[in-house]
Order: sequence, then C-alpha cells, then structure tokens
Amino acid sequence: MNFNGLSLDQAPPIQAPLRFFLTAPLFGIFAGILILLSDKSLLMNRYSVESIAITHTITIGFFSFVMLGALTQMLPVLAGVKMRYVEITSKFSHISLVIGLVLMVVGLLKSMPSLLHVASAMFFFGFLAMGVMIALAIKDVKNFTATVKNMALSLAFMFIILFMGIYMLEEYSFLNISESHIIIANIHSVWAIFGFAGLLIIGVSFQILPMFYVAPRFKKFCKKRVAGLIVFGLFLWAILNFFQTPYDVVAKIWIALFFWAFATTVWKKLDERKRAVSDITIWYWRGASVFLTIGSFFWVFDDYFEHRYTVLVALFIGGGFIFSIVMGMLYKIIPFLVWFHLNAKGYMSIPTINEMINKKLSKLQFALFILSLVGFVVSFFLPVLVDFFAVTFVLSMVILEFNIVAPVRLYLKTIKTKPDFDMSAFS
Amino acid sequence: MNSIKEYLTNGHRECDELFATMENSAMNNLCDAKEAYKKFVSETEKHFQQEERVMFVEFEAKTGMVQGPTAMMRQEHTQMRNLMQQMGEAIDNDNKDKFFGLTETLMILLQQHNMKEEQMLYTMAQQHLSADAPRIVEMMDSMIVSE
Repeated sequence: MNFNGLSLDQAPPIQAPLRFFLTAPLFGIFAGILILLSDKSLLMNRYSVESIAITHTITIGFFSFVMLGALTQMLPVLAGVKMRYVEITSKFSHISLVIGLVLMVVGLLKSMPSLLHVASAMFFFGFLAMGVMIALAIKDVKNFTATVKNMALSLAFMFIILFMGIYMLEEYSFLNISESHIIIANIHSVWAIFGFAGLLIIGVSFQILPMFYVAPRFKKFCKKRVAGLIVFGLFLWAILNFFQTPYDVVAKIWIALFFWAFATTVWKKLDERKRAVSDITIWYWRGASVFLTIGSFFWVFDDYFEHRYTVLVALFIGGGFIFSIVMGMLYKIIPFLVWFHLNAKGYMSIPTINEMINKKLSKLQFALFILSLVGFVVSFFLPVLVDFFAVTFVLSMVILEFNIVAPVRLYLKTIKTKPDFDMSAFS
Repeated sequence: MNSIKEYLTNGHRECDELFATMENSAMNNLCDAKEAYKKFVSETEKHFQQEERVMFVEFEAKTGMVQGPTAMMRQEHTQMRNLMQQMGEAIDNDNKDKFFGLTETLMILLQQHNMKEEQMLYTMAQQHLSADAPRIVEMMDSMIVSE
C-alpha cells in the first residue's frame, strides 16, 4: 500500500496546483474581453469561430485548469496516491496548454491555420502529460472508492474529447470540414460537460459535501451505480446521434434525469447538513444546483425547438453549474493550501483560512458572477446588453483573481520570515 | 463492533457531530459554545489517544513501520491540538471571527486527516491486526484518557 499521500512533506509542492488555479481567472478575463470585441450576432451561433474561441477559453482555460490543478492535490487525499513527477509534469502541461489555448484563439479568429497546427500539438502533449500521470497514479489505488471510479471515468472522457477536439481543430486548419464535423462537435461538447466535468464533480461531491459541511452521506446506489448509468446514457446518446438522430432525445432524458437528480440531492444534502455555518462555497453549490436543474431540462426541450436554445443550455450548465462549482472549490482549496504548507513549514502564527480572503469581496464577486450569468441569458434575447454583462463578468473575474492571489501573497511574504518552529527534523 | 476500521471511523463521525453542535451554538453567542467546545475537544482527544496509545502502537509493533504513516498522523494530531487550543483562547477572548476562522481551518485539516486514515491506515491496520482486532477494540474502548 502506498502511503505517499499520508505525508505532509510528500504532498504536492504548492506550485503544482497554484499555477493552474492562478491562471484560470486570467482566462476568464480574456474570455470576457473576447466577448466585448466580438460581433454579437456571431455569438448566438454556437458553431461560429468566435463562439468556439470564447467557449474554449472558459472550458480549457478555466474549467480544465482548475480541475487539473485540483487533481494534483486531491489524488493523495481522496485516493491515497501521488502523481509521479508532479512538479515537472504540471509545469510542462501548464505551459503547453496556455500556449495552445492562446494560439487556438488567435488562429481561429485570424484564420491562421499554421497556429492551429501548433495549438493541436500543444493540447495533445499538455493534456496527455497530466492525463497519463493521473492515470498512472489511479492505477496504484488500492481502495477503489466511488470517487476514484468517477475520477477514472472522467479521465477516460478527457482523453476521448481531447482526440475529438484535435481532429476538429485540424479540420479547421486544413479548411476541410467533413460532414461528420457537427456530430463529432456535438459528442465532443456533451461528453466534455457530462462525462469529463460532470462525472468528476459528482465523484468529488460524494466526499466533499459530507466532509466539509457535515451533510448526510450519499446513498450506496448513488455511489455505486449512477456513474455507470450516466456513462451508458452518454454512449447511447452518441450512438443515437450518429445513426438515429430523431430518437436521441430518449438518451438525453436519461442523462438529464440523473443530473437533475444530482442537483436535487445536492440541494437536499445542504439543507440537511449539520454545520449551519454558511459561506460563499455553499452559495456556489446552491447556485450550481439551480442552474443544473434548469440547464438539464433546457437541454432536453431544446430538441423540440430545433436546437435554437443550445447557447442557453451552455450558459446554464457550463456557466451556472460547472463554473460555479469550480469557483467554489478555488475559494476552499487555495486558502487551505497556503495554511497547510505554511503550517507544515513550522509557521504557527498565521492567519486562519477565513482571514485570508476578504469576505465582502468574495460576496461581491459572487453577486457579479450571477448577475453576468443571468445577464448573458437575457442578452440572448436582447443582444444589445451583451457588452454590459461582459464588463460585469470581467469585473467578477478580476475580483476572483485578486481574492485568490491574496492568500498566495501572504504565503510568499511569510516564507521570507523565520518559522516559529524548525520543522526540518520531520522532513 | 470488532472491526478496528469500523470502530475508529465511527469515532470520526461522532467528533464531526460534536464539531457541528459546537459551531452551531457559537453562532449566536460564543460564550454559549464553551460546553460544546469542551465536549468536542474531549471526544477528539480521546480518539487521538485511542490511536496513539493503542492502535498505532500495535500497528508499529506488528509492521515495524515506526517512522511511516503513524508518525505522520501523530504530527497532524499535534497540528490539530494546537488549533483546538487556539479555539479555546478565542472563546475566552470572545473573538468570534478568530473562532470561526480556526474552526474552518480545523475542519478541512481534520477531514483531510480522517480521509487518509479511513482510506488507508485503518484498512491496513485491519489487515495486519485482524486476529487481534477484538482485543484492540476492547483496549481502545476501555482506555482512560490521560490529561
């Protein structure tokens, strides 16, 4: 049995998750600026290069970055295994993905195929490096819990959507869009949302909600069966989408029902939690639960409106559900990491994690984010409002970056001083 | 209850409940939380000592791993004792912000610690010490907590 995760000193170096976390809001700002600069009529079409560029700035630059960063920290705790070469891998992967994403956005918006080739290669190596190392770590897990199972399934979806994404990017770079492009794009996006992000979030919530909020544990059925049933639905949906498109709504209902059930369960668990204390992370969980419910139903009913509202589905599920959860995680993980690493280095008189982030600013950030999200939904019908809500969104991302940089600055300032205790004997 | 893993895991859940009770009573008035705080600290201390004075000792004797996971768990117990002491000081000074800052920090540290124990150490202890499990559980159950 591997005990690496038990050791304070063998926890991943703080830079490994932080480099992903601190970059994420910067891509959020970048996405907001892209919205401001875009031709608004093109944003309503999910297949326009503008929409694709902005979506990926958020999905790769924000969602994937936070999820990859969090996995470096969560694997030792939730799965009892450590990623090998975590520092060098995260550094390599981070640089590759940043470069890849910037090149993809510029390549798409300026129609520069050569940049798209390089972007494809960067995504391939960037995701593969982290993905393989995470997979190797998961291979070592002895106690294969429901959370670990979800992590593994989520990772499998990450590899599949990566290859689909690269295939489509190469089609753009060769200006050779095949007939199957739209079907692959559909599968790519649905598997990314429900397979890669959705399964990971569900798996992590099995542990996080009972742990941090002393909420009731999830039922055995949820832990043991739901992931498999969702995966079945995702494959069924993909097959129907390819061969029997008119019937794919059956699989959609199947998937949507499980995610709606998850959203309801989260809400109920939070209601029944023993810790009455409420903080910004609870607000984000609640928000995610509401938006996931609305989004799941919209996704199903969108079929009856000839997919006219797919952009709204993306806003509800991508923006309201995934975005909310990952931001909530940032507010929880970063101050704890700072406290944990400083404490392990022997600093005892440090601020508590509640004191590291200004509560008023985090509430303002939450309010601006929700306002922007609702505003984007309204802007779908009144495009003239998009710019205003793009500004509020950028503001929320600027405040988020400020909020999460604050504990990191404290960390950097503190390690320049002498520790209260010399902990070198423990290393 | 003859399983070491089950016995100690239940201990974690009891401490979680006491933690929540303490925090909830502190929300209105910090002074009201004094009793709940004492209960939480005493139950947590009992759990720590059940591990440090019984289970860890048996585990180390059986596996020969003295500087391994048990040493790390002891170190984390020290960190948590330190936080609990500071919580007591915050109650004495009627400093609510400090108290809730400390409880939040303790909560995450505690849960991370519990998870490592439940998922790895207890599982391993149960495997190595299964023959002696009823005796070890009995020893932990009847142990008198030292000051």
